[in-house]
Amino acid sequence: MTSIRIVAAISLASALALALAGCGSSSSSPSVGSGTSVVSTGGFQSPLTQSLTAGKRGGTLVVLNETEFEHLDPGIAYYNIDYEVVDVTQRALYSYKPNTTTEATPDMASGPPEIAADNRTITIHIREGIHFSPPVDREVTSEDVAYAIERGANPDVANAYFHSYFDSVEGGPKAEGGPIKGIQTPNKHTIVFHLTEPKAQIVADALVLPLSAAVPKEYAEKFDKNKPSNYADYQVATGPYMLKNNSEGKVLGVGYIPGKSATLVRNPNWNPKTDFRPAYLNEILIKIGGTTTVIGRQVLEGTDMVQNEAPNQASVRLAAEKFKSQLEISPGAGTHYIAVNNKVGPFSNIDLRKALWAALDRAAMDKARGGELVTNVMTHFLYPTIPGFEQAGGLAGPKVDYNEHPEGDMAIAEKYIRLAGYAKGKYSGGQTLEVVGSRSSPAEQDAEVVNQTLKNLGFTTKFTLVEPSTMYSKYCGVPKEEIDVCPSVGWIADFADPQTVLNITFNGKFINPVESNNWGQVDDPTINAAMTAAESVTGTSARATAWAKIDDELVADAAAIPFDWDKQANIEGSGVDGVGDLWDSGEWDYDYSSLK
Amino acid sequence: MSVGRLEALPPGGEGLEFLDLGGEIAARSPLQLFWMRFRQDRLALASFAFIVLLIVVAVAAPLVVEVLGLPGPNVQNLNLTDSFGSPLGPSLAHPFGVDQLGQDVMSRVIYGARVSLEVAIIGTGMASVIGVVIGMLAGFYPGWVDTLLSRTIDAFLSIPILLLGLGIGAACAVKGCVGGTIQPGLGVIIFLIAIATWPYMARLVRGLVLSLREHEFVDASRALGASDMRIMFREILPNLTAPIIVYASLQIPFNILFEATLSYLGVGIRPPTASWGQMIASATPIFNTAWWYMTFPGLALLFTVLAFNLLGDGLRDALSPRAA
Repeated sequence: MTSIRIVAAISLASALALALAGCGSSSSSPSVGSGTSVVSTGGFQSPLTQSLTAGKRGGTLVVLNETEFEHLDPGIAYYNIDYEVVDVTQRALYSYKPNTTTEATPDMASGPPEIAADNRTITIHIREGIHFSPPVDREVTSEDVAYAIERGANPDVANAYFHSYFDSVEGGPKAEGGPIKGIQTPNKHTIVFHLTEPKAQIVADALVLPLSAAVPKEYAEKFDKNKPSNYADYQVATGPYMLKNNSEGKVLGVGYIPGKSATLVRNPNWNPKTDFRPAYLNEILIKIGGTTTVIGRQVLEGTDMVQNEAPNQASVRLAAEKFKSQLEISPGAGTHYIAVNNKVGPFSNIDLRKALWAALDRAAMDKARGGELVTNVMTHFLYPTIPGFEQAGGLAGPKVDYNEHPEGDMAIAEKYIRLAGYAKGKYSGGQTLEVVGSRSSPAEQDAEVVNQTLKNLGFTTKFTLVEPSTMYSKYCGVPKEEIDVCPSVGWIADFADPQTVLNITFNGKFINPVESNNWGQVDDPTINAAMTAAESVTGTSARATAWAKIDDELVADAAAIPFDWDKQANIEGSGVDGVGDLWDSGEWDYDYSSLK
Repeated sequence: MSVGRLEALPPGGEGLEFLDLGGEIAARSPLQLFWMRFRQDRLALASFAFIVLLIVVAVAAPLVVEVLGLPGPNVQNLNLTDSFGSPLGPSLAHPFGVDQLGQDVMSRVIYGARVSLEVAIIGTGMASVIGVVIGMLAGFYPGWVDTLLSRTIDAFLSIPILLLGLGIGAACAVKGCVGGTIQPGLGVIIFLIAIATWPYMARLVRGLVLSLREHEFVDASRALGASDMRIMFREILPNLTAPIIVYASLQIPFNILFEATLSYLGVGIRPPTASWGQMIASATPIFNTAWWYMTFPGLALLFTVLAFNLLGDGLRDALSPRAA
């Protein structure tokens, strides 16, 4: 399997409780996710309280983006900055309304997935009357959905999560972009998935990801033959908006100028009767570049603009003090924890891991990340909005002594160091720890707190900060480097199923030679077996219970040292009525946001 | 300022009686002449005093921090940040404020001086020694030796040193390079400074030696049977002292900035060791809410570089023959 994304990147969220809903207004009260209600958002607006139907139509929203997009191809996009565009230009089979992480609404699909009793077959009907944007213009069929998913396995598309969720589809593991035996289209409005394992729920859940957004084969195939595919440069849309293009469908240089801007205009073929999105705005102009500090001030003092990425601490503080109505706080934006090497080195000893957990001043680390407004002290691994969070202990977490004191407790830490065989209560093993952190704020502050804590416990460290992507790709994600401590790794679920939080990061079968997301090389046979069993459990509640037990075992094993459940801040100008996506770390949703 | 021809004569020289100096005029040594000129340059004097103070503070950093009642440079105290995690500003207890980890900025600025001066003095010293030796050899031995060394100098001058520093910093960050021999940090910065700046010194020295080797005192030494090494290092080198000192003093601020640049870019000094460049980098994202964090290390860097530059100018003026 390939890796899932890392926190620096982004999120889609949530599992499906697909027994519901068609399109229409959002008058019901959706289930928002486990533990969401107990997370304080400081009295600021949040995706939990915003109105989805009170927007005013028209106008151009300016979006300021510090960084460049990674990929705008729906089959490749994996970062939340990309999702913000893909979400308004493409319609996946299912999608979430902004204020939920657990109720997926049929989008391209006309109803919930039909899962066979043996949990090995999924049948989905495609909505009629949806058309691709120019120059394709024709109606979307089930074959377009099949091709969209199949191309994810094309090495020149290289979707990041295809093998994580679609390997149980017959033919999935060996797929390379061509037709997949287990994906059938008996008619132009029906698609059927045949699985080799009873994992229908997780496959159905994964259909909220943009890989399931239709792609017209006869149009895209020639672009997909390029190495790598450049379909993104000529992409067509099914959503309310499209990247501005010319008559040949070319987007690159027209509606998307790398490093400079992206222009989203209305899709003339979008039929609002087939969609639940209000799509208030006429145009969305995304400007790329600048620095986050300057952008933050520009947005807060401006009118018709928003900051696309999470603002830095200084902007959050400024907003909280002077621009209160322009700040949104969203719970359930992921986790940060310390990955310690379970396989080799001092932290292969469980008692030393518990000692570090006990000694760590998690409250201080969270303060360094921006304080209570944007963090909660993390006490276990499933996070708010993910099913199983409450069963695993909620905010307080499991009652074990090394988890009791968020401010750190050296007495308990010394107890565990003695249990590890160091009679004086300080590590005296003589081995120098390799500590590799991320050179970006606030992760580097976290890293320095961890480094100091290790020294307080008697360890000698070799402390290095590198670029965030380098930390993951070259060191923490490469087992043979034998890094002892990665002080601040993060994770956001692909969707709100507990498997997407725990499996890739703590299951021994996902220790890959490179790009491993099991950074601590956690490989406990008992936990591995429990995860394998839980993968096939069906039903949101049953899955939550099964994975919460696994969470308990991970805490008992001190497999990693948790310190932060993120809440994400987002800021808008005074003239914007922004709506954030709870399922996407509170990122602005341009399908629902409007100008005042 | 002109000191007059007579002042340059040696004291009590035999055979000078015919000048009838009347016993009123005493000749001055070169050091006296230098001091007489240098002390009239108030800016250079003030810079010299600042640098001496800086060296004292850097050497005695632990004592200075203790006397001032400051916490150590790496003492973290998150209680000194507000509810948003923003550091608190200057106060009596923390005159320069604190950083995001509640570490005292003044304490770190004081310790940061150590890094800057180590880099400046050791790096410049190494570059000067290498440059002088290579330059003297190239200047003293025209022909293939000069050609070989001069081309070597050209080759080193073509190395994009900042990119090399960034490359080493990135490629060797964790495990080091060449079997762990090269590890980013102070040692590598000093090494980079040495290999980046010795060619300039070498070119300067080579040019001067090319001229000096034709002087009569060199012929005289050779006639007396002096070896090449003796001529180079005992006869010619003393005549190069002034330009070497001037050039080295002007190289020091460049090297301080080079270290600060690498640390700012994250490939210099490793945290938690305090470095001015690294502090400025960490302060950048929060400058609008914590002005002190960037300002004080920035000022320290500014004044230190300025002081070395002014001192270098003063030394040049005082040592330059044109001033006589």
